Amino acid sequence: MSTAADFLRFDGVAIRLGGREILSPTSFDVARGEFVCIVGPSGCGKTTLLRAASGLVAASAGEVRRKGVKMSEPSREVAFVFQDYGRALLPWRTVEGNVSLALEAAGVPAAERAPRIAEVLGKVGLAKHAQKFPVQLSGGMQQRAQIARCLAQKPELMMMDEPFGALDALTRQSLQDELARLVRDDGLTVLFVTHDLEEAIYLGDRVIALQANPGPGRPSLARMIDVKIPRPRDQLTTKEHPEYLQLRRELFAFIEQGHD
Amino acid sequence: MTERRLLRWLRPWVFPALLVGAFEWYARRAAALGSDALAPPSAAARAFMGAALDGSLWQATGFTLGTAALGLLLGAVLGIALGLVLGLSRRAAQLGSLSIEVLRPVPSVALIPLAMLTFGFGVRMELAIVAFATFWPLLVLVQSAVQQIEPRLLEVSRVLGLSARERAFKIVLPAIAARLFVALRLGVAVALVVAVTVEIAANPNGMGYAMMIAQQSFDPALMLAWLGWIGVVGFAVNAGMVLLQRVVARRMGVLP
Amino acid sequence: MNGNGRVGILVNRLGSLAVLFALIALWWMASNAGWVSRVFLPTPQATFASLLEGLNLRGPNSNGELLAFTQATVGRMLQGWLLASLFGVLLGAAIGVSPAVRAWVQPTLEFIRPLPASALLPLAISIFGLNPGMVLFVVAFGAMWPVLLATVHGFAAVEPRLAEVARCLQMSRAAFVWKMGLPNAMPDILAGMRLALTIALIVAVVGEMIASQSGLGQAILLAARAFRASDLFAGIVLLGLIGFASNALLAFAEKRLLRWQQP
Repeated sequence: MSTAADFLRFDGVAIRLGGREILSPTSFDVARGEFVCIVGPSGCGKTTLLRAASGLVAASAGEVRRKGVKMSEPSREVAFVFQDYGRALLPWRTVEGNVSLALEAAGVPAAERAPRIAEVLGKVGLAKHAQKFPVQLSGGMQQRAQIARCLAQKPELMMMDEPFGALDALTRQSLQDELARLVRDDGLTVLFVTHDLEEAIYLGDRVIALQANPGPGRPSLARMIDVKIPRPRDQLTTKEHPEYLQLRRELFAFIEQGHD
Repeated sequence: MTERRLLRWLRPWVFPALLVGAFEWYARRAAALGSDALAPPSAAARAFMGAALDGSLWQATGFTLGTAALGLLLGAVLGIALGLVLGLSRRAAQLGSLSIEVLRPVPSVALIPLAMLTFGFGVRMELAIVAFATFWPLLVLVQSAVQQIEPRLLEVSRVLGLSARERAFKIVLPAIAARLFVALRLGVAVALVVAVTVEIAANPNGMGYAMMIAQQSFDPALMLAWLGWIGVVGFAVNAGMVLLQRVVARRMGVLP
Repeated sequence: MNGNGRVGILVNRLGSLAVLFALIALWWMASNAGWVSRVFLPTPQATFASLLEGLNLRGPNSNGELLAFTQATVGRMLQGWLLASLFGVLLGAAIGVSPAVRAWVQPTLEFIRPLPASALLPLAISIFGLNPGMVLFVVAFGAMWPVLLATVHGFAAVEPRLAEVARCLQMSRAAFVWKMGLPNAMPDILAGMRLALTIALIVAVVGEMIASQSGLGQAILLAARAFRASDLFAGIVLLGLIGFASNALLAFAEKRLLRWQQP
């Protein structure tokens, strides 16, 4: 029997690649509606953990269980937002066509698709660009299009792999706020991987810090910190909030320790 | 591990071996039923050995390869020269564009009767058509390559006061070397295909003609032998160019 | 100095036209003044006259057959090309979609790639005899390979990220091939079809020449043998036009179908 608290459970998940252990056995729970950020240096396995959680890659040991059921294959209820948005969109379809793909795959009849596409495009602010091709869009808009397609899946869980990493700072900030609003409005559960510590604290209810090169006495899962900053958050005041500043100091110091 | 590598070496041959085997079985059955249109690959192999031993194979192959090479030389020199001029001068490219668009679509085979009329049969006729056929791709590709040279390099040549000849040989040609080689590879492929086609259509020399004669003499074994040999030669020449490209690239520091 | 703006473009076009006229003038001089024998180089006016005559455009008494010949050659070319494209795409998709099939079959395909399509004519003559069907078969068979190879390549090279998106959306295999594989392969397939069209024309002409089939190929061969230079040139002009028109039409279609590539 699973409860809201263990909506997503990582149970001793370990991953080996090319003979090396990228991720030592890691366990934690994600509650329904939680926004969990995963940070860590390159090579710590955060992206691989996300891919294992969504069923794209198989864990070498342990299980990921969603609502008590093992996740071994990708499912439409778990949306995945890739970092390289340009390569995750179909270049030959318009924004509308790309979003439609999710609905087509789910077997939604043609008549119902148009209103659902319009709704989701409205949520990400791309309603006016529905007929454009990806090549005609800026980076931020392309990423929004991908998010729109993921939202069209009506997912319970959204996995996001450094979604804003390839964007400039201003676009990143506005997309962060948009994402926070979307997640709150739809009550989504999010697993968000990023290398940007400030982004992780700003967006998350909880921040999980992984460390690279795990070994005996050095688990992959190094720190788990609850972010008790009230919502809604905004770029100006939240970043001056004492809790924010303290978490920031803590995390930075921790990451610095990890770099020897 | 070596067992796997052995299998990987053998794998490309499995499918063709199956095809050849099936063809052998079918051709033998057809021959037994009185058809003389086909011959089994085993008979073709014997005919091949015969042609190799009595010299006809080498003579015909030499003719085709030699004529193709000469035609390519002519077509490439002219194509590269004009490509350089049109690539370096926007004005010249614009002036020549319509004429090129009008002349280029003429299929080279359409000129076979004209070449026949002008040169009779032999080397010159085939050479002329190969030259025409290889001129256009080389012109277009070299022009495009020159137009894409880093403009900074051309400015350097002006600042240094290089003569047109020096600029061509010291800056332009090295800068386009990689793409020039790709164009030459295409040129070689085209030259060979066109040469064989001319021999099939008209010219009584070379591999294509030998194959036609074999068919007309109701010698399917020899005909198939020539068909297979043409395929092998074409493949070998193209593969050789790929290897050559790699060697040249390594020499020019493009590949490690 | 480059011309900018509409006037500049017009000047460039006119300059280009002027160069073409200069070449035609050169042709006119060379043939009319006898610099090159009129046996090999007919005058432009004679060529034009042959064209008009052959296309029945010269009054009620002309009985030119060039139009019929052109139709025959173009018909062969198009029929063969359409067959080649259809089978090339179907076979190419079947091979390209499966990495396993590709691994076993691709080396054989690479061997066939450099083979001249016309080289199959003697074999086809041997099997089918000298008739129009034989020529059509070789046209179709020869033109199929660029389409097949291009299709295999197009299907083999699907962006891996898109394959993952398909898995995340739990798309069926058929949906993946139809919605991702095929559109992804479209640019390659269209490029292959363009190459196939030039091959189709070439093989049609050569086939007509050696199999004595009615068409432009046979027409220009007979004209050369009979020293009718102006008829020969008229035929060459028509073949050039066919090459030009077919390529231009296909390039136009390609641009429309691949609109999504242009920013």
